[in-house]
Amino acid sequence: MRAFTNASPRDVSHAMTLVTDARKANRTVALAGGGSDLLGMMKERLVTPDVFISLKSIQGLDQVKPAPGGGVTIGGLITLDALAHAAVIRERYTVLAEAAESVATPQIRNVGTLAGNICQRPWCWYYRNGFKCLKNGGNTCYSVTGENEFHAIFGGGPSYIVHPSDTAPALVALDATFRIVGPAGERNVPAGEFFTLPAADASRENVLKDGEMLASITLPSARKNVRSTYHKVLDREAWTHAVVSAAILLEMEKDTCRSARVVLGGVAPIPWRLPEVEKLLVGQRVTPDMAAKAGEAAVSGARPLAKNGYKVPLTRAVVARTLSGMTREG
Amino acid sequence: MATRRVSRRQFLEGTGTALTVAAVAPALRAQPSPSAPGTRTSITLTVNGSKRTLEVEDRWTLVEALRDHIGLTGTKIGCDRGECGACTVLLDGKPVYSCSQLAIWADGRAVQTVEGLLNDPLQREFVAHDAPQCGYCTSGQLMSAKALLNTTPHPTADQARAAMTGNICRCSGYNHYVDAVVAAGNNAGGPRAFQASGSGSAESLAVQTSTIGALTTIGHATHRIDAVERTTGKATYSGDVMLPGMLYARVLRSPHPHARIVRIDASKALALPGVKAVVSNENCKVVWGAGSISGGAQYNEEIKKITKHRRYAFNNPVRFVGEPVAAVAAVDRHTAEEALQLIAVDYEPLPFVLDPEEALKPGAPQIWPEGNLSPNARNENVPIGAKRGNVDDGFAASDRVFEDRYSTSFVHNAQMEPRVCVAAWDADKLTVYTPTGGVANCRTDMARDLGIPPEKVRVVCRYMGGNFGNKNQNQDADLIAAVLAKNAGAPVKLELSRKEDFIGVHGRWPTAQYYKVGVKSDGTLQAIQLRGYSGMGPYRKNTGNIAGVELYQCPHIETSISPVYTNRTVSANFRGPEFPQGFFGIQSMMDDVAAKLNMDPVEFILKNMTRKAGDQTPYTSYSLDECIRRGAEAFEWKKRWRSRPGSDSGPIKRGAGVSFMAFRAGLGRSSAVIRVDAKGRYAVHVGVTDVGGGAKTTMGLIAAEELGVPLSQLDVVWGDTDRCPYSVGESGSRTTIMTGYAVVEAARDLKKQIAEKGLPTGDNVLIASANPNPTVQGKVRSTFGAHFVEVEVDAELGRVRVTKYLAVHDCGRIMNPLTARSQIKGGATMGIGMALHEDLVYDRRSGSPLSAGYYGARVATHRDAPEIEVIFIESDDGLGPFGAKSMGESSKVPSPAAVANAVFNAIGVRMKDLPITREKIVAALAGREVRA
Repeated sequence: MRAFTNASPRDVSHAMTLVTDARKANRTVALAGGGSDLLGMMKERLVTPDVFISLKSIQGLDQVKPAPGGGVTIGGLITLDALAHAAVIRERYTVLAEAAESVATPQIRNVGTLAGNICQRPWCWYYRNGFKCLKNGGNTCYSVTGENEFHAIFGGGPSYIVHPSDTAPALVALDATFRIVGPAGERNVPAGEFFTLPAADASRENVLKDGEMLASITLPSARKNVRSTYHKVLDREAWTHAVVSAAILLEMEKDTCRSARVVLGGVAPIPWRLPEVEKLLVGQRVTPDMAAKAGEAAVSGARPLAKNGYKVPLTRAVVARTLSGMTREG
Repeated sequence: MATRRVSRRQFLEGTGTALTVAAVAPALRAQPSPSAPGTRTSITLTVNGSKRTLEVEDRWTLVEALRDHIGLTGTKIGCDRGECGACTVLLDGKPVYSCSQLAIWADGRAVQTVEGLLNDPLQREFVAHDAPQCGYCTSGQLMSAKALLNTTPHPTADQARAAMTGNICRCSGYNHYVDAVVAAGNNAGGPRAFQASGSGSAESLAVQTSTIGALTTIGHATHRIDAVERTTGKATYSGDVMLPGMLYARVLRSPHPHARIVRIDASKALALPGVKAVVSNENCKVVWGAGSISGGAQYNEEIKKITKHRRYAFNNPVRFVGEPVAAVAAVDRHTAEEALQLIAVDYEPLPFVLDPEEALKPGAPQIWPEGNLSPNARNENVPIGAKRGNVDDGFAASDRVFEDRYSTSFVHNAQMEPRVCVAAWDADKLTVYTPTGGVANCRTDMARDLGIPPEKVRVVCRYMGGNFGNKNQNQDADLIAAVLAKNAGAPVKLELSRKEDFIGVHGRWPTAQYYKVGVKSDGTLQAIQLRGYSGMGPYRKNTGNIAGVELYQCPHIETSISPVYTNRTVSANFRGPEFPQGFFGIQSMMDDVAAKLNMDPVEFILKNMTRKAGDQTPYTSYSLDECIRRGAEAFEWKKRWRSRPGSDSGPIKRGAGVSFMAFRAGLGRSSAVIRVDAKGRYAVHVGVTDVGGGAKTTMGLIAAEELGVPLSQLDVVWGDTDRCPYSVGESGSRTTIMTGYAVVEAARDLKKQIAEKGLPTGDNVLIASANPNPTVQGKVRSTFGAHFVEVEVDAELGRVRVTKYLAVHDCGRIMNPLTARSQIKGGATMGIGMALHEDLVYDRRSGSPLSAGYYGARVATHRDAPEIEVIFIESDDGLGPFGAKSMGESSKVPSPAAVANAVFNAIGVRMKDLPITREKIVAALAGREVRA
């Protein structure tokens, strides 16, 4: 790795001071939670920050606490392991616990943070192998005419990466709000507005500005009779990012769906919400037939590339299968 | 979106009460202000219960600090990217990848490494269950298991797998690790009887035989003689070697698949403080003889000298992405890496070609002047061919003729230990510490390439973390390290990253196979024709052949295999170099023929399998029919095989597949020296390094048996050319047969000496040396086997799960059923990976590999690995040491074919191109009616 300075801030405001100080000295900065992925990228020299701000030294930003209004606020620096095992998350926001525990491996989950998982850079093999592309200052997406087996079937263009996070689709499904803290202050952004389509700005995956960090995530109060789950399809049983995944939340009244959230991972540059599928399910019993219809609706408008056409039937099956699994008797 | 300044007070007030307290580590000491790069910070951490204070650079990883600065080398670096688990340590009790943590973050925290486990019951179970093979992943597996047992004292097999799924093992197939962890939970504390319990599957160590009598030492389950070293972090691998004044080296590699190097300017690199030497093609003209040999005849020294397509340590032009261009030696690895960035290279890109069939078309870029068809051992540009009878007559005599194409991908050995070399000169004598399976071969190669006498080269390999074929002979890394050491006047450690190991060493050649098969209507083979293409990369490091036709009894055969140059990573040895590819191709083809004839594939095999080598020469012993019949019965073939492939209703479909093998077990030359002293203690000197197969132990068992003494009365001396005689090198499944036989002969000679002279007295010793070169006259010696696989395919999600796997093998007499079982399981698991996941994907426009490394290659983890059942059928043909036949490669060879045939039986669609990925299955089945 290129030489850099590690800085371990005491608290958020110290972190922000470190950011502004670095800027004043014309030094580039990277912010990290667990640091695993960022260190890997630095070893490949994909990013070469002068200052590495390791946020895990900050106390108190790694817990799950009750939020005013009945929901919970989760510190962005909570490890994925702690999040997956937090009782209130497992019981009331199951999709998030399942998403957190599906990430990578136990070793990575023991240090990887929720904020880090949400803000993770793409795992597109062109980007990770150092091709100069839209994600790192270039002006091309190599996947378009290249090896696009794992790239986007929705929302792509001019970049076709898929968002690599498992927790992100779950958080969109949960209508989470993200609290962003930066040198200029703080702001709250709904999860559904946090992620950036390449058509808006291909160089980034989310709205964080330079020097900003994702400090906490607030989930609204969990309604009664809600069941939720995260279904991840991946090659191998560990490490690999989702080929297609589904974060689904159903609010049931007896066996009828009152409201639904259906958000896909692995298929688009952002967590891909399916409002048409959600509308389809409202007021319906989720029978196998209904699940199949939802699967069909899920892939309407999909625009596969030359090598990722299989993601269309796969997405259809994942949505149908997940819905059926959530409402099966017994 | 309102923004507001956050005051410190507001922030603290906002934190409120915690609902749950996440398990938080003790406070990290926040630094008051960041220091300038390159400076060092003092940290204090507790390692294995002791406080340690050291000065670290910010960029040092925790694993680097532990290994190089605290001297705890038990924790290994497998990939340095958090993709393999070898570096797992416990940080405040939780398993983490120490390669992905900075040392500075460990300030004030507690680290436990393998060295902190002291005679832990878990370690005893690992030894008892033969969990570690090469041992390189073992420390990491132990730490993950330890963390699990700390919180879950009596884990189930599933819990063990889940806890350890972040730890890859390439040797073992995982079953024994899981068994060991469950046993540790069951047998908490106290010594235990040495018995493999097997979680769930009724697995006994008794070999299921037969006709051969029992021996005293051989044939009984025996712990590896170095199992304890491998389980305690005490085994010293090449990368653990630290010499005074040692420098670190890094290699600059070509970003182009084909390019002329116009100019290299290393002046800025040389000027960087701490850089001691820079080499490139400009100042280093060393030839790497083993890197390119006409015909791929690896073990032939004469051919290496006359090979036209010479491969240097540094070539110009460079012919694949990853080819070495320059190398730097510096005071530490970070300075060496920085120096690489300062080397300026002007390339003139040249046209390139990636696909072997494309490379043979007129107009394709010529990688070598004579064209892209790689020449044979006589420097003739002709394909490899074999012929028996006349295939045209055969097809004419057939009732049905079938044609089809099959293909296999490049798969990498992916051994856990990445390539490394430590080279040191003492005046004109060179010592290299390098992970080679063949210390003698490596020494010969180094001497020849550097132009020095072999006596001036010492090769040491005490422990090696696997190779599966890519660590026999020498490697360019060894030469580059040696040259740098000479130039710099200091020892040099050259480390390859995992990516470099994937693209800079070699892997299994990809193939395209065109079959034409003629049969009678009752399924009797009349003719087999194979036209094949193997992608060798731009240098010929092995034969490029495609085996499999010889498996069948057939009057007319014709093969034409073209080993073709391409601008990709070089292809060479990987566990049965020519075999898994061809066996997949031809046994899929034949399985398909059987299906089209409505024949049970087992019946088709029994009808058409080889009964004599080449349909002419008898085998020294033959058990192929027994392997197949016994296996089919034990597997319940009739129950599991669907007579109508794809007939299971619903999206979840099961099916069964079978494959069989006949594979070389021939005799050959090797050496052994055995010494006895006045105390009656024996030392067995053999040139083995034990790549993970247990060769040290096997040689010990053979010596003990022949000498008539217990294993505890002898020591095996290995892994050092200064102390050990020639050995054939641990590849090609030859060590037990060839070096083992030399041990037998040396033991016999020694016994004779003892009978004549009595045991020595005082300081005298008796020494016996043997260098036999036995041959088999008039017969062919083969090992036989059959694999039976059941899979469950989710037709909608494209997922393939192996639900039952039975491997039946006749490896002659089994020397050590404990280690033999481990070998078979490991090979079968690798075969499943080759069938379903592994590939090296290239970007066609840039000629760049995209999926190098454990993550990209999708190497199987604990949760991917099924339980593998093993049946050994023993035979003793009176040859080899006590009738031992080959084993090392045996279980990889038939595995992909059996898995692919099972997939066909489950889904009714023939998948003809490996790997059979999810994408391919979903694409093949999409749109088909799936009845609920």
